[in-house]
Amino acid sequence: MTTEFHSRQTAMAAGLMCCHDCGKLVTADKTPEHGVLACPRCDASIHYRNINAVPRTWALILTAAILLFPANLLPIMRVDFLGSQEHSTIMDGILYFFHSGEYGIGLIIFIASVLVPLFKIIGMILILLSIRFKWKTWLRHKTIIFRFIQFVGRWSMLDIFVIALMSALVDFGTFTSTQAGPAATYFTAVVMCSMFAAMTFDPRLLWDA
Amino acid sequence: MIPSTALTACPVCDLLMQKVEAPAGKKVYCPRCNTPMYQQKTDSVTKVIAITFSGLIAYTPAIFLPLLTLDAMGMSKSGSIFSAFLSFYHQKYFFVAVMVFLTSIFFPLFKLSLLFSVALQIKLRIYSPSLPYLLRTAHHLDEWGMPEIYLIGVFVTIIKISSMATIHYDLGFFCFLFLVLTTIASASALDSRTFWRDIEQIKTFSQEPLSHDN
Repeated sequence: MTTEFHSRQTAMAAGLMCCHDCGKLVTADKTPEHGVLACPRCDASIHYRNINAVPRTWALILTAAILLFPANLLPIMRVDFLGSQEHSTIMDGILYFFHSGEYGIGLIIFIASVLVPLFKIIGMILILLSIRFKWKTWLRHKTIIFRFIQFVGRWSMLDIFVIALMSALVDFGTFTSTQAGPAATYFTAVVMCSMFAAMTFDPRLLWDA
Repeated sequence: MIPSTALTACPVCDLLMQKVEAPAGKKVYCPRCNTPMYQQKTDSVTKVIAITFSGLIAYTPAIFLPLLTLDAMGMSKSGSIFSAFLSFYHQKYFFVAVMVFLTSIFFPLFKLSLLFSVALQIKLRIYSPSLPYLLRTAHHLDEWGMPEIYLIGVFVTIIKISSMATIHYDLGFFCFLFLVLTTIASASALDSRTFWRDIEQIKTFSQEPLSHDN
């Protein structure tokens, strides 16, 4: 198996497929047996680019964008203190930290649960639009944005874990207790959708444009 | 004309390149999109076995033993990672409960066990047809196990609660800290390129008919 090699050429242009799972380069001249070619090393199905990557990513990212509204507007936590109930949204929790002077921790939660989901959605939409309209500039920067989205996506689960621990720990019967609010479901769904969006997207499409 | 085994492609921008070997510890970057492509690591297989094994030992106490105990108003309450998951379950937030269970309890264990068994099989040079699937599953679970995020969550909770109650750190807290350390260390010791190359070697070796047989 030999290949004509030029510099500044993609593997696809040379008729080679790069396995997504193990990174092996596979020559595409073999006719696939069942419609999909399997990697000879790790048996993953391989293709030049992720199948239907753009419409699937659009669907997931728009779902995340819609779910972001109930996630931020509905209460995410309810604190019962001596019979009085206090509902708080994500933003209330952050403001609480800023009012009590804990700026560092307030900033961490603000970044993890407000900025990161917003950045992921805006960033992915920008990348998808750039593929749609074949914008050939700032490719390196868009790749960095995508890799950052991939890396940072999971950190939004922070708030959910905090609520899980709070409701397990702060539970003193009728005196005071902490419960999750309906926004928890929406917020988890936002995180899941945007993580799946980053997984289905194929950054190589950016460079194909 | 160059054999395709001497070439490699960037996983992010698909640029075709000739393979270069970098000295251990140095990262190789894609010249077009600047993505770090691989990094040669020394003794990756042995290190992964050692790290994942110690992680697996710490796993059970880390998840089931209480992390913290609160003292407030003459009462005390302690909670573990597992009871935090159960609290979502009891409040009937089943979707959130399932996600919390998967990301904080199931996937960390699953990933450590997968890496342990893959590295052990490579070390002992045993090939089973499931070996590539195990490593692939471990790769796919990469971002779904979130113990390190949970740890930051524990710190945030401590700060939130510290004003209203006295906090005692229990054994589970330190085991969990250790579990997070081993998870991070196993990810940074893992050299997936070497792992795949070794798997390929073991595979071809196991499929060759032994010449001294009969």
